[in-house]
Amino acid sequence: MSAVDMRVRIGSLELRTPVMTASGTFGSGREYAAFVDLSRLGALVTKGVSLHPWAGNDSPRIAETPSGMLNSIGLQNPGVEAFVANDLNWLATQDVPVIVNVVGHSVEEYAAVATRLDAEEMVSALEVNISCPNVDAGGMVFGTSCPAAAEVVRAVRASTGKTLIVKLSPNVTDIVEIARAVEAEGADAVSLINTLLGMAIDTRTFRPKLARGVGGLSGPAIRPVAVRMVWQVAAAVGIPVVGMGGITCAEDAAEFMLSGATAVAVGTANFMDPAATVRIADGLERFCAERGMTRVSGLIGAARQG
Amino acid sequence: MCHAPAPHTESVTVIANERVAPGVGLVVLEAPRTAASVQPGQFVHLRIAEGADFILRRPFSVFRAGGGRLEILYQVVGRGTRVLADAEPGEGMDLIGPLGNGWRVVEGTAHALVVAGGLGAAPMGMLVEELARRGVAVTLAQGAPTGERLLARELFEATCRRVACATDDGSFGACGFVTGLSADLIERDRPDVVYVCGPEAMERVVATQAEAAGVPCQVSLERLMACGVGACLSCVVSTHHGRKRACVDGPVFDAADVLWEASEDPEAHPAPDPKPPAVAAPDPAAPGRGEA
Ligand SMILES: Cc1cc2nc3c(=O)[nH]c(=O)nc-3n(C[C@H](O)[C@H](O)[C@H](O)COP(=O)(O)OP(=O)(O)OC[C@H]3O[C@@H](n4cnc5c(N)ncnc54)[C@H](O)[C@@H]3O)c2cc1C
Ligand SMILES: Cc1cc2nc3c(=O)[nH]c(=O)nc-3n(C[C@H](O)[C@H](O)[C@H](O)COP(=O)(O)O)c2cc1C
Ligand code: FES
Repeated sequence: MSAVDMRVRIGSLELRTPVMTASGTFGSGREYAAFVDLSRLGALVTKGVSLHPWAGNDSPRIAETPSGMLNSIGLQNPGVEAFVANDLNWLATQDVPVIVNVVGHSVEEYAAVATRLDAEEMVSALEVNISCPNVDAGGMVFGTSCPAAAEVVRAVRASTGKTLIVKLSPNVTDIVEIARAVEAEGADAVSLINTLLGMAIDTRTFRPKLARGVGGLSGPAIRPVAVRMVWQVAAAVGIPVVGMGGITCAEDAAEFMLSGATAVAVGTANFMDPAATVRIADGLERFCAERGMTRVSGLIGAARQG
Repeated sequence: MCHAPAPHTESVTVIANERVAPGVGLVVLEAPRTAASVQPGQFVHLRIAEGADFILRRPFSVFRAGGGRLEILYQVVGRGTRVLADAEPGEGMDLIGPLGNGWRVVEGTAHALVVAGGLGAAPMGMLVEELARRGVAVTLAQGAPTGERLLARELFEATCRRVACATDDGSFGACGFVTGLSADLIERDRPDVVYVCGPEAMERVVATQAEAAGVPCQVSLERLMACGVGACLSCVVSTHHGRKRACVDGPVFDAADVLWEASEDPEAHPAPDPKPPAVAAPDPAAPGRGEA
């Protein structure tokens, strides 16, 4: 249809467009199937999946903030077996690469989930989430220290031959050193950023707006931080970077690619516009066509060359 | 309801927008697709405005639907509803809908008690019309802070077999809370089912009354919602069967299934005191007599 080649490559995975969904904002895809032709997505990234069921945090779990939102969902999920039986088996009927977001309370749990998913042909890649700010044990704890991040990635790498993406936390002093540490352990790609730790207080009740107190900030408010981090990480590692944080339109997606991302993910924008992902994918193609580009990959890191 | 069609996005136009009570408006939207498929108790996720202050849509129950139009009763509580109150006829918006499970109406229901507190009247318009259409005798117990805040009185008077009202200040109907009326009506009439919507503390009291009388009870619950379609898990309600999503597994729940202790009402204003009204409830068959 169009003259622009939209394909990009993440590890052994070829995406038909760089635009994918951000974990936790798109369910398992089924919830959005009425609004989005899933086969038009680069990949579908599922919500975080753990070895055993997690109940998540108490309500209220979200708060709207200027140009963004806080969430403290806490990785509520039914556990990997229920996920395979319900979500994955449904996804198997869909024509879209599936990337499963993996979480754990311990290195062993991450490895066990990875081992279980390695057996599922339907799973194209794993995204190891070492960056969730909303759980006490695990999550971000692993993503904020180089040795801990390396240990998780080493264990998961030993458990699966599938493409391995490691999702990084922005809540660190130096995201580049974490990216380098996970690259050294065999990560095929890094994705960033997860949410920024934040908080909002209700001045009427004098109480935090979230039951958990703190939560993760997402949406356009975090985009400049995310673009800066993609810029830094892409310059420092040899593996592809998946960029995300406040993408709402094709220009936002292009901004991430220009800063060095090979692919992008759309999260919070789905809540306002359930068709945001395909709208952005179509817009990105137009963006390239209007500039006479024949390959979307020509955008990757182009801001650096001058 | 169980066989609700898949939700869609629809561009809608404001047809009318009027203040119907202090701080409460009724907006009429031209929304043919949604109006044709929405079921009683379902809601729409409205994109009132765009911009930095509006990262999320706002969920609203459908009060009435028909002739290609939706009616929404809304209370002005914050930024979004303030913008909604200023919306002029001809303005465009868009919505996702219809969403949620809606009220369940069981075959063979002969007598239903509908309990509405304040804005809890909003999801009851379509319900009482549907019940009346099915020949169900409907008793409505309605409460509000003052008489002028008793919403949708005309529709309820025209559609329900009986209407009983309670106001906090006694300016209309009984002086006290609607829970005083519901206690009486459940105990005395033993309806086949109780439908409840209002502040969560009030819903909980009515649920307890219904349970004590062995009457099935459905409650419509509010939670903060991001996606509205079941994907983000923002809106969970704690139940005996685990955490359920208010946007797809609800907003209507079996009251007996809800773990009230654990649940969190998103309404910031303090919950009303659930104690019974200070003055005895009036004869519900003779509504409209002030008792102050
Ligand atoms: C299923 C459902 C049906 C509803 N039906 C109605 C109705 O028919 N009429 C009506 O007046 N109100 C209804 N509400 C509540 C309504 O959604 C909120 O009052 C409204 O979102 C407030 O928006 P705001 O921008 O004015 O307030 P703000 O306080 O500025 O909103 C900030 C954020 O909090 C959310 N929020 C604030 N209060 C509530 C609340 N009580 N419930 C859910 N989210 C809230 C908003 O959506 C927004 O994301 C319903 C809520 C739900 C969940
Ligand atoms: C409600 C919600 C749930 C999320 N759940 C997860 C999750 O399970 N795993 C994960 O790695 N990231 C999760 N995230 C983070 C997003 O995937 C994404 O990294 C972040 O929101 C930034 O992108 P955005 O601004 O486009 O939303 C979640 C974000 C939100 C808003
Ligand atoms: S609002 Fe997203 S799951 Fe209910």
